[in-house]
Amino acid sequence: MDRIVVTGIGIISAIGESVESNRLALKNSTTGIGTLELFETNYASTLPFAEIKRTNNSLKQQLNVDALNITRTSLLAQHACNQAILDSNLTKAELESADTALINGTTVGGMCLTDELYQDANRNSTTSPYVESYDLASVAIYLQELYNIQGICNTINTACSSSANAIMYGARLIHQGKAKRVIVGGVDSLAKFTINGFNALHILSSEKCKPFDQNRSGLNLGEAAAFLVLEKESDCKNKKPYAILSGYANANDAYHASALSETGDGPYEAMSTALAVARLNPNDISYINAHGTGTENNDLAESAAMIRLFNNVPPFVSTKSLTGHTLGASAAIEAVFSILALQHQELYPSANSVQPIEGTGLKPLATFQKAPVKHVMSNSFGFAGNCSSLIFSIV
Amino acid sequence: MFYIHQTSCITAQQSFVEPTLRSITESVENKLYATENNYDSIPPNVLRRLGKAVKMGIATGNEVLAKQEVDGIILGTANGGLEDCIKFLNQIIQYQEGRLTPTNFVQSTTNAIAGQLGIMYKNKGYNITHVHRGLAFENALIDVEMLLSDHPTNTYLVGGVDEISEYNYTIEDLAGSYKKEILSNTELLNSTTDGSIAGEGAAMFVVNTVKSNATAEVKAIKTFVTKKTETLEKELSQFINTALPKGEKVDLIVSGKNGDARLNNYYALVENQLKETPTTYYKHLTGEFPTSSAVALWLASMVLSRTEPLALLKIEVANPIKNILLYNTYKGNQHSFILVSAV
Repeated sequence: MDRIVVTGIGIISAIGESVESNRLALKNSTTGIGTLELFETNYASTLPFAEIKRTNNSLKQQLNVDALNITRTSLLAQHACNQAILDSNLTKAELESADTALINGTTVGGMCLTDELYQDANRNSTTSPYVESYDLASVAIYLQELYNIQGICNTINTACSSSANAIMYGARLIHQGKAKRVIVGGVDSLAKFTINGFNALHILSSEKCKPFDQNRSGLNLGEAAAFLVLEKESDCKNKKPYAILSGYANANDAYHASALSETGDGPYEAMSTALAVARLNPNDISYINAHGTGTENNDLAESAAMIRLFNNVPPFVSTKSLTGHTLGASAAIEAVFSILALQHQELYPSANSVQPIEGTGLKPLATFQKAPVKHVMSNSFGFAGNCSSLIFSIV
Repeated sequence: MFYIHQTSCITAQQSFVEPTLRSITESVENKLYATENNYDSIPPNVLRRLGKAVKMGIATGNEVLAKQEVDGIILGTANGGLEDCIKFLNQIIQYQEGRLTPTNFVQSTTNAIAGQLGIMYKNKGYNITHVHRGLAFENALIDVEMLLSDHPTNTYLVGGVDEISEYNYTIEDLAGSYKKEILSNTELLNSTTDGSIAGEGAAMFVVNTVKSNATAEVKAIKTFVTKKTETLEKELSQFINTALPKGEKVDLIVSGKNGDARLNNYYALVENQLKETPTTYYKHLTGEFPTSSAVALWLASMVLSRTEPLALLKIEVANPIKNILLYNTYKGNQHSFILVSAV
């Protein structure tokens, strides 16, 4: 089977607005988690967030967007998508071709407009510019029109693993001959909806999150977007691909609507199936970009699954200790981080983790290091038991 | 591509599932609410807490999963449990982000239905929710086609579900999606004004690559976006040429015509391009919703599996039906063709 390669990447997160700035922050462990400056919520003074310090107006100016009804989610997606398309040198003709597909993963979509949605849903106005902007599909439909993409277009929501499934769906479209090139990724912006939802579940930490630490106290919500361009290796001989997307898997934990099983059955299935797809053994994995949200439940379940799968758990990291949990975008930004680790042969550290979780003995990597990196696994697990793993390999 | 083995469906029409009934459920204030008498398979203590999309999804899922085990669950829903979503949103605003209960939040995520089915059936396989508005169900079909190509011995549940919530009705109404005047659904297809009437429903299918004992075959699917009728014309020719076996013809069109005058030109074009082919409609029975093509697929598989087609559809075809073309456009932008054939 022809190999699927990554030929372009683009990203915006609380640790940077470009691939380079994200890499620098990862190397230096510069956190994006802190006090809210732009987003208004009652929790601004009590909870830390990973906010992108750009107003909607400034994003609109940069992207030449005039329309009132383009949401922050769509703007962040456009910013990252522009970078990925440029990076991959896609021509206008390629972009507009019927064999170019666009797949987005998101959990918030246009619901970042919480107050506007409240007004409209309760009929407090007679007209509204936002009625087409609220749903999850609004982002992909906006991008599709913007770039005039003529191939398959889709939006996926599997909660926090949404963009892993977007990447996987795109790769499968190429394998099946339904697309020649795919633009795949995910986006979420901060929204009162998710802030209050996660707060009601008591999993937001009042301090900077401490993934895989015995004294972890929950996650910090963040916002981000990242997109990749995937192509068949034989179709882009003139390009220098970043990495191969060698394995992927989707499995369900089938345990609870908002928690993982203690044994991490879904995570184990996702990781082991991704290895099988990549035709790799557990000891081939050089480095794991863990889901590592910093919640009591996730980190324990993920540790249990890693211990079950790997004889010696490879160096692993939770980049959410710097970027916060960016929900539908998290798998896409962490795919970019995994690709950077391969490209530069380096491992990024995890912040705030001091004491390993009792009984696991697992400690995430604490310092930046240069190391040979061949295969990187990236995990994403979501509500409703939706677990996915991706594996990226050196070309 | 793949074969349909088990089907289930909930819409406003009880007579869809009890063909001896010939009565039509009528719309109330431009809404066609789905029947609620098919929830026996959900324990009462669970049922109480569920929103309608989740109830419809689980009830239709239960019906087919009781008959056949599956290796994965692939759903399409544009909005999932939107009623719960806005209930939670209202709490956020009304209690000024105070102490809230998470139930509405957890249930309102669009992936909750597929997740819930996964939990109920301890199904640890592939589990996904496609949410791409008017092409959410079509993307679920494309997904299952690819899965069966990679894993030809597997069996999957694929389905579509969407609910009318008070809130999405209001938002869609603000967007001009529904008629300004109150109209009975029985008059919908003759209407000359803009907008349609709201609908809801769920349809589920157990599919695999096994031909024997199947009710129907899904032969081809195509999705595209355009506002131009010329593009629609070109896509239709191309679809018929590539999807239909040589020497065969389309015997029936199941049209998504929804009484919205702004969309009539798209539906008319498809009928005109296949002039000799009879057309049947269903949205006067179900109302309009983003995953209504799941119900259209269910109707097509009923037509193909029963000797006497559903009375309500008033299908008059002289010869046995072999190939059915489903055409739908959501708001004149997202379009899909699905070719369903007798086995």
